[in-house]
Amino acid sequence: MNLLSIRQLHIMGKQNHIVKGLSFDVREGEWLAIVGQSGSGKSMTAMAIGRLLAPNLQAKGEIWYEGKNVLTLSDPAIRRLRGKRLAYIFQDYQSSFTPFLTIGQHFDEYQRTHLALSKQARRRQAVNALASVGLDGEIYSRYPFQLSGGQLQRVSISLALLLKPDVLIADEPTTALDSVSSFKILELLSRLKADTGCAILFITHDLRHVRKYADRIGVMKAGVMIESGDKNQVLNHPEHPYTASLIHASRSLKKSSMKHEGALG
Amino acid sequence: MELTINKPTKRNGKRAVIFTVLALTMAAAAYAFLFLKHDPALVNLGERLSPASAEHPLGTDHLGRDVLTRLLLGAQLTVGYGLLALFAAVIFGVPFGLISGFKGGAIDRIFMRVADAFLAFPDTIVAIVLSGLLGPGIENLLLAIVVVKWVNYARLVRSTVITERQKDYVTMAKINGLSSFAIMRKHLFPHIIGNVLVLSSLDLGKIILLISSLSYIGLGAQPPAPEWGAMLNDARPYFQSNQSLMIYPGLAIVCVVFLSNILGDYFRDAFDVKKEVES
Repeated sequence: MNLLSIRQLHIMGKQNHIVKGLSFDVREGEWLAIVGQSGSGKSMTAMAIGRLLAPNLQAKGEIWYEGKNVLTLSDPAIRRLRGKRLAYIFQDYQSSFTPFLTIGQHFDEYQRTHLALSKQARRRQAVNALASVGLDGEIYSRYPFQLSGGQLQRVSISLALLLKPDVLIADEPTTALDSVSSFKILELLSRLKADTGCAILFITHDLRHVRKYADRIGVMKAGVMIESGDKNQVLNHPEHPYTASLIHASRSLKKSSMKHEGALG
Repeated sequence: MELTINKPTKRNGKRAVIFTVLALTMAAAAYAFLFLKHDPALVNLGERLSPASAEHPLGTDHLGRDVLTRLLLGAQLTVGYGLLALFAAVIFGVPFGLISGFKGGAIDRIFMRVADAFLAFPDTIVAIVLSGLLGPGIENLLLAIVVVKWVNYARLVRSTVITERQKDYVTMAKINGLSSFAIMRKHLFPHIIGNVLVLSSLDLGKIILLISSLSYIGLGAQPPAPEWGAMLNDARPYFQSNQSLMIYPGLAIVCVVFLSNILGDYFRDAFDVKKEVES
């Protein structure tokens, strides 16, 4: 069943036309990967879904969620949607946290906005959420700058999934991490997806991240979705030459890195 | 190459001196009433222009009033009114800048054109015109200072907010479903405290100078209020015979302005903000 349907989405700046008539669906509980090089408009699309575009950008078209067009919802209605039904993780883990608030205060703010829980219950829930991403409860009272990138990204995942959203939009969550940490984050996301049943809209420029985890893949280029479909079909039988070149690029990288490892080992 | 990060002992010593002097000045101003023997406004022509004595450590002025008493109460007036004006300018300027920077778009453009209009005239001229129009008196002078000064705070806060609001944590707060007001209060406001503190401590000296100079030309505090600028003005005819009458309030102004500038420098180093404040 389609959870989120994007139809003929256009995103325009003052001079440039960033996304040009984009249409796709996110199905319940699936891992949909949107792949494309930087500048193809994938992050803009992700921001448009939560109506988080900068004021100088305009989104036109339709984004259907639960029978309502998100782009025409009132401000209070969109605020109720954000966080609770629709969650985000960003690439830049460092700036995703307000520097002078502790991790616990971030949790607390989330919980107080959407839930009516006592102070102890909030803390217990937060510590449980941290444990579910493999973090110790003592992180609750730490400040963001005291944590490593992998830890911060785990915290943002646990924050994003705290309220059991329907869709998690992950905008290049592993790009700024080293390969071991990013592998762990991907593993974690796929486990949590299985546990909570939320759909993941995973945005990346790197096909290697998608190979193992995604159910479906959409390829974006210059504001248009040039190809989409089942993972195996897209990866094994690309229709568009651009997709083929992306696959080729990721393969050759993989091979060379394997060779390198072999030489070392 | 030797890399010196800081010299804690030397700096700490200086800092201790500055803060002690500042604290003493503040304490003297605040608690002056406890140890004053003389009425600052009591005219006693029998003792006019008397030199320093045990009874009057700094002598008396042309109406026989005790200079030390007037200086101490003047600290209350000058520094107190300076702080009050500063506080009012901050209270008015900060929300203005926050909203302007955070909302952007048409609101920002309108707010900033208003600010430009205020910035187009030199501080002193606007203050003189306003207190001239509204009539002399300390209340009108304070109003004039707020009108002149709030723009600086609005602009400073706006520039900080504009750089901060593009960061992901503001988006995260939006995603969390927080209202604009909550985001400004909890996620942006703490960022600007440092900058505002630096600018306001640097401004305190300028505001005190403005109050004193306008009082000196008769637009601020009215006699017999012992405001330092007004005291300077009172002492002017006796410059030839009793220089000390001008020197004491003059020195007091210099000291306070100097201290507030040093304090501002210290805050600037402590908060490590340079570009925004100085521009």
